[in-house]
Amino acid sequence: MPPQAQQFLDQLNATLPLEAYLIVGALMFGIGVWGALVRRNAVVVFMCIELMINAVNLTLVAFADYLPNAGGAGVGYAVLVIAVAAAEVAVGLAIALAVYRSRKTVNVDEINLMKG
Amino acid sequence: MITAQTFVGLIPELLVFVLSILVLMVGVFAPRATGLVAGLAATTPLVALVGTAVLLFTRFEGSFFGGGYVVDDFALYFKLLVALSAFFAVLAAARWSGETGDAPEYFTLILSVALGSMLLVSMRDLFGIFVAIELATIPSYALVAFDRSRRESPEGGMKYLLTGMVAASILLYGIVLIYGAAGSAQLADIANTFIGRLSPVALLGLVLLVSGFAFKISAAPFHFWTPDAYQGAPTSAAAFLSVAPKAAIFAVLLRIFLEGMPGAASTWAVVAAVLAIVTMFVGNLFALRQRNVRRMLAYSSVAHSGYILVAFAALRGAGAETAVQAVLIYSAAYLLMNLGAFLVIDLVGEEAKSYNGLFRTRPGVALSMAVFMAALVGIPPLSGFWGKAWIILAGAQSGSTAAYLAVGALVINSVLSVPYYFGIIRNMAFEEPVTGAGEPKGTGAVKFSVYALAIATALFFIVVGPLATLAGNSGLL
Repeated sequence: MPPQAQQFLDQLNATLPLEAYLIVGALMFGIGVWGALVRRNAVVVFMCIELMINAVNLTLVAFADYLPNAGGAGVGYAVLVIAVAAAEVAVGLAIALAVYRSRKTVNVDEINLMKG
Repeated sequence: MITAQTFVGLIPELLVFVLSILVLMVGVFAPRATGLVAGLAATTPLVALVGTAVLLFTRFEGSFFGGGYVVDDFALYFKLLVALSAFFAVLAAARWSGETGDAPEYFTLILSVALGSMLLVSMRDLFGIFVAIELATIPSYALVAFDRSRRESPEGGMKYLLTGMVAASILLYGIVLIYGAAGSAQLADIANTFIGRLSPVALLGLVLLVSGFAFKISAAPFHFWTPDAYQGAPTSAAAFLSVAPKAAIFAVLLRIFLEGMPGAASTWAVVAAVLAIVTMFVGNLFALRQRNVRRMLAYSSVAHSGYILVAFAALRGAGAETAVQAVLIYSAAYLLMNLGAFLVIDLVGEEAKSYNGLFRTRPGVALSMAVFMAALVGIPPLSGFWGKAWIILAGAQSGSTAAYLAVGALVINSVLSVPYYFGIIRNMAFEEPVTGAGEPKGTGAVKFSVYALAIATALFFIVVGPLATLAGNSGLL
C-alpha cells in the first residue's frame, strides 16, 4: 500500500473532532426548522420537529462524550429527551386525529377558524 | 442519596402525583362516581396547598438529588400559587366536565400541569427544568384540545401544539449548548462559565434558551399561539394555563438568571427589557381590537407577561431585591385577578355584548368583573396596582437605562390598556341588556370561585407586606 493511501486511511480512522458532530447537528436542526416552516401537512411538520429534537440529541451525546468534566451524564439526559419527545408526539398525533375528525383535513393552512 | 428528608421535601408533589393517578383510576373502575371524582380532584390541590404551607411555615429547606432539586421559600411560595390556581380550576371545571363524562381525564390533565409546575420551580438542573416544563406543557396541549363539542378547541390545540413543540426543541437546543459550554447542567456550575465575555456557544445557547422561554410565557414576537389556544380551550383550562404554568416559568427563569448567570446580567437584562417593551405594546394594541372577551383576555395576558418581564430588566444593582419581590407579588396579584376574569366568562359568555347591562341583571357578577378589570388596569388599592407599583419601584432603583425605558413603556401601556378593560365596565353599567341573552349560566362552584377571587383581589393590600418580607428571605439573592 502506498504511504499516501495509508496516511489517508489513518485519517479516516482517527476520531472525529467535536465540531463535526456539532455541525451535523446544526444542519439537521436547520433542515428541521425549514421543514416545519414550509410544510403544510401537520403530520409532516411533526416529522420535522422530530428531526429538530434528534439533532439536539446528537449534539447532546457528542458533548457528553467529548467534554472532560461532563462525566458522561449527558447520555442519561439523552434518554430523558427521547422519552419526552415520544410523549409529545403521542399527544400530537391524538390532536391531529381530533382535528381531522372535525374537519377532514390536517393542512395547517386550512385550520383557520380563529383569526386576529 | 435519598433519605427520609427527601420525601418530606417532595410531599406536595408526591401527594399531587398519587392523587391524580387515583382520580384517573376511579374514573376507570367507577365510571358513574362523578361526585367522588370531582371531590377527590378538588381535594388534591388543597392537600398539596396544606403540605406546602406546612413546609413554608416550618421553614423547611434542603437540596436533594445531587443539588439538582431544591426546596426553599421561593420555590414553596410558587408551589402555593400553583396549588391555589389548580384548586379554582378544578372547581370551575367540575360541572362542565361532569356533563361530558370525561371528568377524570380532564382533572388528571389539570393536576399533571400542576405537578409539572410545582416540580419546575424547585429545579436547579437545566435538564430537570426541561423535563418539568414538558410535564407542565404536554398535558396542556390536550387540555386546550379537550372540548370536542366546539370546533375551535382542537384547532386551538393544534396551533398550540405545533408552536409549543418547535419552542420546546429550540429551548432544548439552548439548554444543550449551555451544557456544552459549561460542561455541566447544574446552575451553580453554569455560573462559572457565564462571566465576562461569553463564548459564541454560550451566547447562542443563551439566545435560544431565552427564545424558548419567551414562547412559554407568550412574550412577543413568540406570542401568536396565545389567543388561539385560550379561545379554543375550555374556560377553566384557559384560566388555569394563563396563570399557573406561567408563574412557574417566570419563577424558574428568575432562578436561572440569578443562580446560573449572575455574571452575564448586562446581557440578559437588556434582552429582557427589549422583550418586555415589544410584548407590552403588542399585547395591548391587539387587545384593543378584540370584540371577544376571551381573546381580549388572552392578549391582556400577553401584555401582563410584558409587565413581569420589566422586573427582569430591573434585576440589577440596588433594584435586584425589589425586582424579585415584584415578581413574587405580581405573580400572586395576577393569579387572583386573571383567574377571576376568565371564570366570569363561564358565568356570562365570551361575546362583549353579553356583558351589556349586567349591573342591572346580575349585580354581584358585574361587580366582581368590574373589580377584576380595574385590578388588571392597576387601580389602587386592588391587587394589580401593588404588582405594578413594585415593578416601577424596582426599575427606579436599578440604575440601568434599559430598565428606565421599560418602566416608561409600562406606564404608557397601562394607559393604553384602559379603554378595553373599562369598555367592559361601561357596557355593564350603561348599555341596555341584550334581550334573549339566555339563562344565567354557571354553577355555584364557579360563582363561589369568582366571588372569592374578587374579594381576594380587593383585599390584596393586606398580604402585600408579608409577601415582601417573604421575598426578602427567599434565598435567591
